[in-house]
Amino acid sequence: MEHILELNQVSKSFPKSGFLLDKVSFSLPYGAIMGFVGENGAGKTTTIGCILNTLLKDSGTIRLFGKEMSDGDTGIREKIGVVYDGDNFPGYLTAGQLAKIMSGLYSSWDDDLFLQYLENFHLSGKQKIKSYSKGMTMKLAIAAALSHHPQLLILDEATSGLDPVMRDDILDILLDFVQDEKHSILLSSHITSDLEKVADYITFIYKGSLYLTASKNDIMYNYAVMRCKESQFRALDKADILAYRRRDYQTDVLVSDKKKMQRKYKDIVIDSVSVDEIMVLLVKGERV
Amino acid sequence: MKGLLKNNFYGILSGAKVFLIFMLLLGICVTMMEKNSFMVIVYALLGIIGFSINGIACLRNESSSNWNKYKLTAPVKRAEIVRSYFLSHLIWLLAGMLFAGMEITLSILLHGSPFDRNIDVFYIFVAGIGISLFTVSLFFPLSYSGSAEKNQVFLIISLIGGIGIFVKLVDLLNTLFDSDSSMTTFQLILSGSIIIICSLFLFILSYWVTVGIFKRKEV
Repeated sequence: MEHILELNQVSKSFPKSGFLLDKVSFSLPYGAIMGFVGENGAGKTTTIGCILNTLLKDSGTIRLFGKEMSDGDTGIREKIGVVYDGDNFPGYLTAGQLAKIMSGLYSSWDDDLFLQYLENFHLSGKQKIKSYSKGMTMKLAIAAALSHHPQLLILDEATSGLDPVMRDDILDILLDFVQDEKHSILLSSHITSDLEKVADYITFIYKGSLYLTASKNDIMYNYAVMRCKESQFRALDKADILAYRRRDYQTDVLVSDKKKMQRKYKDIVIDSVSVDEIMVLLVKGERV
Repeated sequence: MKGLLKNNFYGILSGAKVFLIFMLLLGICVTMMEKNSFMVIVYALLGIIGFSINGIACLRNESSSNWNKYKLTAPVKRAEIVRSYFLSHLIWLLAGMLFAGMEITLSILLHGSPFDRNIDVFYIFVAGIGISLFTVSLFFPLSYSGSAEKNQVFLIISLIGGIGIFVKLVDLLNTLFDSDSSMTTFQLILSGSIIIICSLFLFILSYWVTVGIFKRKEV
């Protein structure tokens, strides 16, 4: 399988804060959406910073379109669209002025497409960006990111702060974008319901370490939670346990092979698991 | 580069408009004054230095958003981003010189030359260009090595430093030409040219230093 983005053992430390992004590895295939999940401060933005070279990684390799991107590789950046959380553009600009700037930055900038997005999103080209609402600024950023025909979209918490209807519209646009099998999206978010709707792959990061990277189908069909009584929990094979969390009368145990567990532990209730539940179990649960 | 220059232009525009109005009003007042060489000198220096300094002050306003980070994800090299700032500064310096030139011309046309010697006009431009280039040469490396919140402080330090370098250089040249009385026209042209060359040299050196700093900077 060809990958548009590959991270291999990427590390980045911040001595002042003590934060360490620790040997993160994952791959995003062409034509896919990867949900990059983790709580605030988990290392999502740091990882994206390393991918985009706004942060300088300490070690590891990052390949975009099969190549490590240096400052001089402007051709690679031509194929990447980026949306950050919050204000992407200076408030003193209007969308019209932004288009003029972007057309001077990207050789493949499509003014007609940008105007079409502005119309679809009901954004005025003459209004100063500082007078936009948060939802409007995010829509503008998405319009700008898509209007130079990128192959890879990287969105850092781009749907946070949007109302459910707007989020749904944006997710539809993202789904439409990956209809072309040469297009991919890395979508960082902590809104797991969005990711469950659109993502093909889920990568979960916690305190700078990668906890899980798997296809959504794998998670939906193979990952499960076993609801164990204390005696059942004690009898479990430790190798089967990814994480567990004790509750009042039962212990929830996260496992990665539902069918095998069903065969192996016939008297234990095994439920399918949501991304949200996996996240909670991995973060709040304990490891064996 | 075109996109970056447009970006810098829009970043400066609102500040430049206010300064332009101020300069127009002040220009009317100065033009109405008869043979007031001091005011003409102040106006010309204010025009040359003010426009270019206003340029760098506004340019750094964009740091209040993610735009600085966003630009690094665009298909431009870091050196090009720095170069665009230096080029923008030169453009605004030219605009300031044009303004100063127009005011001096207008003043001479209406009231005759307010200066004792014609070479004084040349030296006003030397002072304006020198202080402006020295200031920006100090500002950009400082600005890129520190955080955006300190930009106003860096600007004040750079302006004081720029004036200081200019004054010291003039003092050195005066000593060099051993001029207890006034310098000859040739000496003034020569010392003015030395100041311009020094300021351009520092400007170019500052560009390379800033590029070096920015290439290692994390945003």
